[in-house]
Amino acid sequence: MADTGWPGCSKSLKGVILDMCGVLYESGEGDGVAIPGSIEAVKKLKASDLQLRFCTNETQATREKFVAKLQRLGFDISVSEVFSPAPAAVAVLKERALRPHLLVYDGLLPEFDSVDKTNPNCVVIGDAAEQFSYQNLNEAFSVLIGMENPMLFSLGQGRYYKETDGLKLDVGVYMKALEYACDLKAEVVGKPSPTFFQSVLNDMGLQPHEALMIGDDLVNDVGGAQHCGMKGVQVRTGKYRPSDERNSTVMADGTVDNLAQAVDMILNQRH
Amino acid sequence: MTAVLVSVTSKVAAAGGRTELLKTKTYLYTSEEENVNRKQEKHLLLLLRKVSSMAGRRTLKAVLIDLSGTLHIEDAAVPGAQDALNRLRQASVAVKFVTNTTKESKRSLLERLQRLNFDLQEKEIFTSLSAARSLLEQKQHRPLLLVEDSALEDFTGIDTSEPNAVVIGLAPNHFNYPTLNKAFRMILDGAPLIAIHKARYYKRKDGLALGPGPFVTGLEYATDCKATVVGKPEQTFFTQALSDLGCSPNEAVMIGDDARDDVGGAQNAGMMGILVRTGKYREGDENKINPPPHLTCDSFPKAVEHILKNLL
Repeated sequence: MADTGWPGCSKSLKGVILDMCGVLYESGEGDGVAIPGSIEAVKKLKASDLQLRFCTNETQATREKFVAKLQRLGFDISVSEVFSPAPAAVAVLKERALRPHLLVYDGLLPEFDSVDKTNPNCVVIGDAAEQFSYQNLNEAFSVLIGMENPMLFSLGQGRYYKETDGLKLDVGVYMKALEYACDLKAEVVGKPSPTFFQSVLNDMGLQPHEALMIGDDLVNDVGGAQHCGMKGVQVRTGKYRPSDERNSTVMADGTVDNLAQAVDMILNQRH
Repeated sequence: MTAVLVSVTSKVAAAGGRTELLKTKTYLYTSEEENVNRKQEKHLLLLLRKVSSMAGRRTLKAVLIDLSGTLHIEDAAVPGAQDALNRLRQASVAVKFVTNTTKESKRSLLERLQRLNFDLQEKEIFTSLSAARSLLEQKQHRPLLLVEDSALEDFTGIDTSEPNAVVIGLAPNHFNYPTLNKAFRMILDGAPLIAIHKARYYKRKDGLALGPGPFVTGLEYATDCKATVVGKPEQTFFTQALSDLGCSPNEAVMIGDDARDDVGGAQNAGMMGILVRTGKYREGDENKINPPPHLTCDSFPKAVEHILKNLL
């Protein structure tokens, strides 16, 4: 099959995967703000014959909570359509009989209710924001440095994300900090881990070349998707920076102003 | 055959005012008229080079001594360290105290060590804060100083209004989310990141605690920029520390508890390194550097014993 670039590839697409923060909405005070055109864009995708899933590295709240937030903002979205790192991490922990020391935002803790956290033999870090205090980090460090085979799981590896009041450090920064301190390599659960993307594709019953990822994070959304064989398109909202279009490692299949424009281009190809 | 052995060690002033020591070159000059047997000449040259390099390991002129973890652990001196230092002073070697400790100014370091009965003077102390200050002055940066309050004293006189550079030392109070975010945004806007050092962790009474290294690494990742590191194990730190002692690295030995930053760094700069099993030392650390330490021993007094017996 001939490999057509963007937007021509939209003709043979069977599914679309959307990043959430920076594509659907910008986070900030309270619920944050829906990005203009995004609510309509999601409606159009759902009305089409394309399959749709949401893939996020959001780890400050449980899926139920942040889906409820998006519904309040006006989005047509349900929990079963959303893939996030915490449930994936819980599955990994249970599979490998691991008991975690958690350094995550308070709002995420309920996702780990069913996990045995006594006598931890690994550390899990998520986007803890203000809870990335020196004391909390030191506690996580102490657990790791005391282990013979230290294991660190990082829910995503993002460098920063955008909130309404500016860019903020993401979990990847603290993952690198602990990796350096303990001389170890973390295991990333969530984007851009291929296992994570594969679990979404499996749920859709699609092959990578039949799906397209749209995100604001060039490395973790677009690069991660491309690495799995999907096409990846970057939006100029969220954490996008003009220098992304000159990045030497990842070249997006396409760069669009926002989700609304991406969806219009996709649907135009399919008439 | 007339042969003249000329050994040349030359210094070249490089950009930025640093001097680099070039390798010792050995030249063999033979008289032109004579019919020189190339094989003989080569053999003689190799022999002369070997003799010259053995002579290059000259007698010890200076001992650099790490402080935290080597001479003392927080407010307790390493047993026997004071006497060992006195014995070292009786030999004719210069002594300098080098430290990456950034929580304290030179004056407060001096006071603590004197309280523990160590015999030393303020001018013998060389810290990475000193190294950072001279870099700031050189480049005329206005820094956001993420250093402990007690270390600010070593930066008096430096303009910190409208900062255009980020300086990170060991400052647990500043390693909180809001402050690191502020530093992050400054660096994204072009401010250089200066790290006083990149120690991974240090020893506190209650165990090991995160040093500035992890936070500097995190910010480098976040901004895709590289920090300028001025403390151990950077080569310049060691050569700067020796510069006013009038000796070259191969005439000096470093004693410390950090395999990578103290011993590895010193040996990379051409010094000998002695690793002590106190402070942050952990079993097997000596295997983590290449080449391994000249010596690994139990503590500073044992290191001094070795120096007095074998290196002078």
